[in-house]
Amino acid sequence: MIRTFLTLAFLATWCLVPGAFAAGDAPALEKQQWPFQGLRGSYSKDQLLRGYTVFTNACMACHSIKYVGHRDMMRAGFTEAEVQALAKNLDMSIDQKLLTAQDDQTAIETFGKVPPDLSLINKARAGLADYTFALLMGYSEDPELIHHSFPKGLPEGAHYNKAFPGHAIAMPNPLTGPDLVTYHDGTPATVEQMAKDVTVFLQWTAEPERVERQHMGLYVLIYLVLFTLLAYVTKRAIWKDVKGH
Amino acid sequence: MAHTPNHPVENDIRNTYQWLEDRLPIISFLNNSVGSNFMAPRNLSYMWNFGSLAGIALVLQILTGIFLAMHYKPDVHMAFDSIQHIMRDVNWGWLIRNLHMVGASFFFIVVYIHMARGLYYGSYKSPREVLWGLGVVIFLLMMATGFLGYVLPWGQMSYWGATVITNLLSVIPFVGPDIVVWLWGGYAVGDPTLNRFFVLHFVLPFVIIAVVVLHIWALHMHGSNNPKGISLTKQTDYIPFHPYYTIKDIFGLGVYLIPFTFMVFYAPEYLGHTDNNIPANPLVTPAHIVPEWYFLPFYAILRAIPIKELGVLAMFGSILILFVLPWLDKHPVRSARFRPLYRPLYMLFLANFILLGWCGMMPAEGIYVRIAQAATAIYFGFFALLPVLSKYEKAKPVPTSI
Ligand code: HEC
Ligand code: HEM
Repeated sequence: MIRTFLTLAFLATWCLVPGAFAAGDAPALEKQQWPFQGLRGSYSKDQLLRGYTVFTNACMACHSIKYVGHRDMMRAGFTEAEVQALAKNLDMSIDQKLLTAQDDQTAIETFGKVPPDLSLINKARAGLADYTFALLMGYSEDPELIHHSFPKGLPEGAHYNKAFPGHAIAMPNPLTGPDLVTYHDGTPATVEQMAKDVTVFLQWTAEPERVERQHMGLYVLIYLVLFTLLAYVTKRAIWKDVKGH
Repeated sequence: MAHTPNHPVENDIRNTYQWLEDRLPIISFLNNSVGSNFMAPRNLSYMWNFGSLAGIALVLQILTGIFLAMHYKPDVHMAFDSIQHIMRDVNWGWLIRNLHMVGASFFFIVVYIHMARGLYYGSYKSPREVLWGLGVVIFLLMMATGFLGYVLPWGQMSYWGATVITNLLSVIPFVGPDIVVWLWGGYAVGDPTLNRFFVLHFVLPFVIIAVVVLHIWALHMHGSNNPKGISLTKQTDYIPFHPYYTIKDIFGLGVYLIPFTFMVFYAPEYLGHTDNNIPANPLVTPAHIVPEWYFLPFYAILRAIPIKELGVLAMFGSILILFVLPWLDKHPVRSARFRPLYRPLYMLFLANFILLGWCGMMPAEGIYVRIAQAATAIYFGFFALLPVLSKYEKAKPVPTSI
């Protein structure tokens, strides 16, 4: 019966788990390689700072990250002096959260809706980080493409986006061209680079504990494997006299 | 047990064991329950590990739950934020929450395997009907607890899942809509609902503990069944629970904790839904409302039937029918090993259960509804066939000892 079970468990994982993501009607997304993935994945401080730069310059006019302030960035390896300097550039204290100056009323008048808080966005859409990246790279002015989805033309005030479910998004393309920002480390600010960096930053705001979690997990797993091996050897020793074993 | 006057009571506290034994015989009680004085069949397979694993999973849920409750706020304006506070600001908060979240899923995996084991080896048959029935009570309580807990983070799926499921009760004739309003404490799922769901989610696990005690009590009346499903007669068929099964359970625990830990540290939200990271919004309905994975087979049965009342009945019936299982299957042979018809039917039932789970995940339209209907028919067909099998199935020769 144990063999039957393993087969069924295998079957169940195969048909149930990937289906959970296929169930939506969102467009298929290209899988990216992210530095934070994997057993030893982590965030690089430089990339986080680049992503922060993109966020504060190109997104914060409309979006907040209400669960994160400058002080919280010390968890990612920034020193107090560094976050003080960053906050000062924005005329903020390090204990204030990254809130947009735009009020909801203005947003509704301009876009018809309030731009969502981005703290958790990378965990709040099917496709996770791949989605955010695809969304930022997904704008297109190609009339044929637009006509294909919207034969009668795009709805009033909407923009065409390949990754957005329904393809008509209220957000205008925030990354219209290269060099919207100047990076502290001299990395060329191509559109793709900016999209990658801000996505990584948003992953960090969604899971600031991720690196600690992944590093700790490895030790816990090693410990458990040793524990289980010892338990197995002990079990064998205790059971050696039992008939049939 | 009661004090007998002619038994002189030991007053020397230096003889601590006897001193305590005369006042509260808890050590011998434990020894008789899970120690070297409790005899278990010597041929139990690893399938018999899942009962004690379920117990450990339950304790882990309660411990992590208590620590979460110290920081959680059951208020519609604060619930979502308080979860983020736990994840970001509370020391080890993310670990506690991930343990609790992944722990719930793994608890259900363990209990599903535990139940499937009982179904395969006929453990529900006489004289273990009450043991089985108490198990079904536990299962119902677990489902209630899981459902209530999923509402607490107050994300989109929390809110809409709660709305859909509580609305089911409105099909009760005459009083249904009133019951739903009473349950909500208002005219929609809202602040009073969240507050009482938190209270109930906190209380029910302790009720589960109480029923588990009864479950184990019932188990001890006749002891464990075994893979051959035969009643044991010889003293040599048994070995003491301790140390044999204690060490086997400890080893099993290690094997269990490895994938569990992997999920906790590397994929804590893999089994969850991304929509639950969006704060609840009564004005925006998610594209697909799906419950947690462990409800999916029953959710599929609910949606397979176009008449709402019947769907609700079928869904509850699909679980409640387990109570009468010992009287549906009265075949004298317990273990499926020796039943040439029951065994393949059992396999079909399990595969069909997984299929139902898949249907529960898909949108309730077109071909998916047809598949769910067929699978629902197979689900109930299995139970309908059992009385027939009991009468006509010829078992293979059953060994007389293990
Ligand atoms: C001019 C205002 C504005 C700026 C600047 C802006 N956004 Fe948006 N954003 C919006 C609006 C409005 C929406 C809501 C779109 C909708 O739901 O149709 C939105 C939605 C989003 C979404 C959610 C899409 C979804 O699936 O619901 C993401 C992710 C996002 N923005 C990321 C960004 C990032 C990253 C930047 C900076 C590079 C940025 N935005 C800059 C206005 C803006
Ligand atoms: C909190 C959940 C539960 C706990 C802690 C629990 C605990 C246990 C334990 C410790 C055992 C003895 C070890 C074993 O046989 O695996 C056992 C046996 C058993 N349980 Fe459970 N159980 C739970 C839920 C259930 C459920 C949901 C069912 C079925 C509906 C069930 C049915 C049985 C049966 C039939 C046996 C006897 C099995 C045999 O001897 O072959 N249990 N349980």
